[in-house]
Amino acid sequence: MDTTRRGFLGAIGQVTIGAAASVAGASQSAEAAEESHVPHWGMVVDLRKCIGCQACTVACIMENAVPEDAFRTHVSVYELVKDGQDPAMVMLPRLCNHCDDPPCLPVCPVEATFKAENGEVLVDASKCVGCAYCVQACPYDARFINHETQVADKCTFCFHRTQHGLLPACVETCVGGARNFGDLNDPDSEVSIMLRENEVSVLRPEMHTNPNVYYIGLDDVLDGRVAGDSAYHPEMTGQAHAHGEGL
Amino acid sequence: MTNRRNILKGVAAAGALGTFGAGYAETVQKLAKGKWSGKKPRDEHVVGNSIPAEFTIDPETGDVTLNPDQAMSYTMCIGCTTMCGVRVRVDKKANKVLRVAGNPYSPMSTDPFIPYESSVAESFAAMAQAGPGQGLTRRSTACGRGNAVLEQVDNPRRVLKPLKRVGPRGSGKWETISFEQLVEEVVEGGDLFGEGSVAGLREIRDLETPAVEGAPEFGPRANRLVWMNCVDDGRDNFVLRWLKQSFGSNNFTRHGSYCGGAYRSGSGAMFGDFKAMPHAKPDFSNAEFIIFAGTAPGNAGNPFKRIGNLVAKARSDGNLNYVVVDPVLNNAQNGPSGERARWVPIKPGTDGAMAMAMIRWMFENERFNATYLANPSKAAADATGETSWSNATHLVITDQDHPRYGHCLRGSDMGLTIEGEAYSDADPYMVISETGPVAAGASPAPLFHAGEAETPNGAVNIKTALTLLREEAMSREMSDYAEDCGIPIEKLVELAREFTSHGRKAAVSSHGGMMNGSGFYNAYALMMLNTLIGNLNWKGGTMIAGGGFSETKGPAYDLVNFPGKVKAKGLPFGRNVPYEKTTEFKTKKAAGAPYPADAPWYPNAPGLATEWMSSLVNGYPYGAEALIFRNTNPIYGIPGVAHLLDKLKDPAVVPLIISIDPFINESTAISDYIVPDSVMYETWGFTKPWGGVATKATCARWPVIEPKMAQNAEGQRVGLETFLIGVAKRMGLPGFGDEAIPDAQGKLHPLNRAEDWYLRGAVNVAMTGEPVSDATDEDIELSNVARILDDMKATLKPEEWRKAATIFAKGGRYENIERSYQGDKATYAFNPPMLVWNEGLGSFRRATTGTHLPGTPAWRAPEFSDGSKVHDHYPREDWPVQVVSFKSPLQNSYSVGAKSLLRIVASNPVNVGRDLAQAHGIKTGDMVRLTTPGGTLESVAVVRDGVAPDTVAIEHGFGHRGFGAQDITIDGTTMPADPRLAAGVLLNDLGMLDPTRGKAGVWVDPVSGTAVRHGLPARIERI
Repeated sequence: MDTTRRGFLGAIGQVTIGAAASVAGASQSAEAAEESHVPHWGMVVDLRKCIGCQACTVACIMENAVPEDAFRTHVSVYELVKDGQDPAMVMLPRLCNHCDDPPCLPVCPVEATFKAENGEVLVDASKCVGCAYCVQACPYDARFINHETQVADKCTFCFHRTQHGLLPACVETCVGGARNFGDLNDPDSEVSIMLRENEVSVLRPEMHTNPNVYYIGLDDVLDGRVAGDSAYHPEMTGQAHAHGEGL
Repeated sequence: MTNRRNILKGVAAAGALGTFGAGYAETVQKLAKGKWSGKKPRDEHVVGNSIPAEFTIDPETGDVTLNPDQAMSYTMCIGCTTMCGVRVRVDKKANKVLRVAGNPYSPMSTDPFIPYESSVAESFAAMAQAGPGQGLTRRSTACGRGNAVLEQVDNPRRVLKPLKRVGPRGSGKWETISFEQLVEEVVEGGDLFGEGSVAGLREIRDLETPAVEGAPEFGPRANRLVWMNCVDDGRDNFVLRWLKQSFGSNNFTRHGSYCGGAYRSGSGAMFGDFKAMPHAKPDFSNAEFIIFAGTAPGNAGNPFKRIGNLVAKARSDGNLNYVVVDPVLNNAQNGPSGERARWVPIKPGTDGAMAMAMIRWMFENERFNATYLANPSKAAADATGETSWSNATHLVITDQDHPRYGHCLRGSDMGLTIEGEAYSDADPYMVISETGPVAAGASPAPLFHAGEAETPNGAVNIKTALTLLREEAMSREMSDYAEDCGIPIEKLVELAREFTSHGRKAAVSSHGGMMNGSGFYNAYALMMLNTLIGNLNWKGGTMIAGGGFSETKGPAYDLVNFPGKVKAKGLPFGRNVPYEKTTEFKTKKAAGAPYPADAPWYPNAPGLATEWMSSLVNGYPYGAEALIFRNTNPIYGIPGVAHLLDKLKDPAVVPLIISIDPFINESTAISDYIVPDSVMYETWGFTKPWGGVATKATCARWPVIEPKMAQNAEGQRVGLETFLIGVAKRMGLPGFGDEAIPDAQGKLHPLNRAEDWYLRGAVNVAMTGEPVSDATDEDIELSNVARILDDMKATLKPEEWRKAATIFAKGGRYENIERSYQGDKATYAFNPPMLVWNEGLGSFRRATTGTHLPGTPAWRAPEFSDGSKVHDHYPREDWPVQVVSFKSPLQNSYSVGAKSLLRIVASNPVNVGRDLAQAHGIKTGDMVRLTTPGGTLESVAVVRDGVAPDTVAIEHGFGHRGFGAQDITIDGTTMPADPRLAAGVLLNDLGMLDPTRGKAGVWVDPVSGTAVRHGLPARIERI
């Protein structure tokens, strides 16, 4: 049921309907009651509340010792200009989408990448050989080879925190309250309520990845904005004028 | 192409991952379909190098189990001026801060913040999965910079030992010296640098000899020690005790005049206090419409996170619509919020034209709150259910040649018998009646009147304050205002109509964007819009800060008064007093020409660092013998100051410069000595919010890690307090030593260490009003206040230490959120009147011209100090572009060393509007040259739609020469420059001197004396 819903929503290109989510939520609830409850983690990013402060980006670096040439999460900042409209700022937080149909998983030759009990897509470093096929396969550009550990690295939804009852670092420190994290299997959770009550979208819906990261207020112009700048490396040549630009 | 996406952050960004080979074609494990049954991961192999969790909190019960290797402490971030309460996570063994989050007790970091009575354990659970809304409701945050600045603690370029310059000032060469040598040399002076004798602090502290022979108004020679501070980081009260009450110098200034001072002065004009400059902020959560002009909620500002959070929620879940009026589109606007958050581009420095147009329209269409404005007194306001009042109905003397021109008509002017001095509070203000002027009473008075009043000294022309404002507003046509600010008339009317369509639930907000040549009047005009709808102290309107709990004046200890206390006196170094008080004025007047003075004076301004630079290099009104920079950087921060730098570096001009700073910034770089200081989570302090918090809030900072500075011979860490105490003891200054701090019974306690001061300050905070509860053993353990527990027990009285422990365990003292309002009104109301006419402003003469300026808000094109128009010196034909700076969401002037920030934004290309770029053939990525009358810089261009026409915008925080952007040599060992720290450009390098000043000084606003960094006349070319 769960998969069907997400597949359907992905297939039409953009998640649009509160009603469908509501129906799915109800049946999920019934299903959940039958067995012992296992949380399925998800994130709902309300773009109306993102102020582009990059608190999430830096908190993630600190929490996860992310090496200098990479990011596990990041906020892309756009100036969006549509014909006949004033230019507008769009801040787009990006991270591993912890897909239910993760393209990174089947390409792994050693089964290091796997889907964990609560829905996280994780990498078992004891198995990973650093071949980076998963890095290539990710449609969200969310993976990298960690040059310190020599293995594939990515957002874990702060697995090491959620297991201890804490929130992911990026969520805990989100100043505008844009990043919301919780149990999609619990119909009463904040994130489930947000999915029911808002029009939501996903990134790269055409990839049919069934992601667990949803966006409120995502302009369709941006839903493909994932490639290239997830791990943003400013060029450092020593000449001030040649430094990477940025806002 | 219908849509254009401008990826602001990464023109040169290459996909980090895009270089690997073709994708793997086969699948090893087929993807399962249907409900996924995941694996149970083995922790240690799946989380990379992530740091272990700080504790475990049961999601159901909220029970907390500590991680014994880590400490969690509530203290304060000093990564910017907001100074948020934060929670710091420390690796105990490594004495290293691992990460920072917010303090859920603190309104700066959490909304809604948790009740103060909550135990520390409950505070931990509140922001975990066990908390309300699965932890989302009470989540407590640090911003991007706040998350990164812990890196400054371990910055390899920190100054850890006292330094003395080797070679000329600014050479970048230093030697380490002992703390004891440092104190001896700065106190005793002598031939310290082989350049001749230098007076030490002992000689300078002369309380008898005048600073200026024949001009006693400037006080004693001790005033020739001048102190430049940045911002009050919670330690200024200690500094002020040493400087003013112990050493006896009256010269202390902060950074406001090159930060947001023009706004604060404009606000101060309306709130009736040019020194404290009160200001109100919108009630972001309950307002229905806000105009942000010269401030950018969520992009920058103070309190940065709180405003960002409240505005984000209000535009998404609440009832707020707002516009951001700014030459540059920034993160304050939010595309996904649609019409809720709109951007209105404006020409730089012309907000006053917009505001006066709105005011004109409000007068023409009677869209001002006449009922509110008609109350001439607090009694009248109370009688009509209002919560503030104004002087709109008060009569003002308008005869230019009347000795009281520009002042309000008072009872004594009319010959009324008053109980008390003329023009004192006992002397009533006058309003008009059918029988002529009468004392303002408890009933409404007429708003408009222009006429003559018969006084015992003859007839005098009078008008009401509101009449004067209306005349000023009507003196220009809507089309004039529209042309000047670049906002079409229809848009101006739309803004005015919407602003006046929400009762009291509308507001105008401003701040640092007022730093332009007309900034003072622009700010006064913007703020006046609030008074015209009477929104002050109303829920949904504007509100002042609730304040805090004083650490210096409390029921337990008196940290202000002490035996032998000195009263510092004399006119201040920055000339922010009436010129007419000087001997120069009297001498010139006697000679028949009192004006112009030799340089500008600013009676309607606070202390001015901008003007200090002119005073320092010109020795006017007198020279400084010693200058102390404390954690401040005017050489980086003041536009145009580079033109004064060579003179400032000359030891013949200022013989002794001492810096107290953890880093070698652009200003410390030119000092003779550097005293190392604590960083971030190593330091003590108490602060309260500047604004935006309706309840009382005091944030407490304490060392949650062992400071890294070297120790002195007594084993104390060298820093600000150690230095000042050491100097005081060597000089025998009062107020320090074994008998320095009186308690409530008058018994004297020692002040030999920082702890003697701050621990007793914490007791004052704790005991004010209803004392706080004692900290429990659990609170002390969970917050790691155990780290300083022995010191507290040894220093404080038995009944005190658990109270102080509560202050540190909870990171301060916070009134509960329910205290924000009483019904529809703010609990903490501002009671003095809003000044539609400010008589101090309306009556003073500019020292440089002898002429008057308007006493109401007004729109005036920028002027230099001689009253000539800036555009007459630098005509638009030659200087068609205007340059502005804007605040970065990440960098400030002292954060560049936090290396994670440069990972996200590595530099600051100049932002060029699309039309301007096309006219000059500029494309994104091109090198451009910007030239102003003050300087030239070259940088990369980013072409944007979100920049006003003919405007170029530069993000602040880059273009450093200090902090390691240049080589630093200490004891012969050179730490080479890091080009990353030098990245980008600094707008202030384009700043200008005022060419009409005889004594060199930077271009400043004529009333507030504040720096001009917006609207610099410029040219641009592609190179």
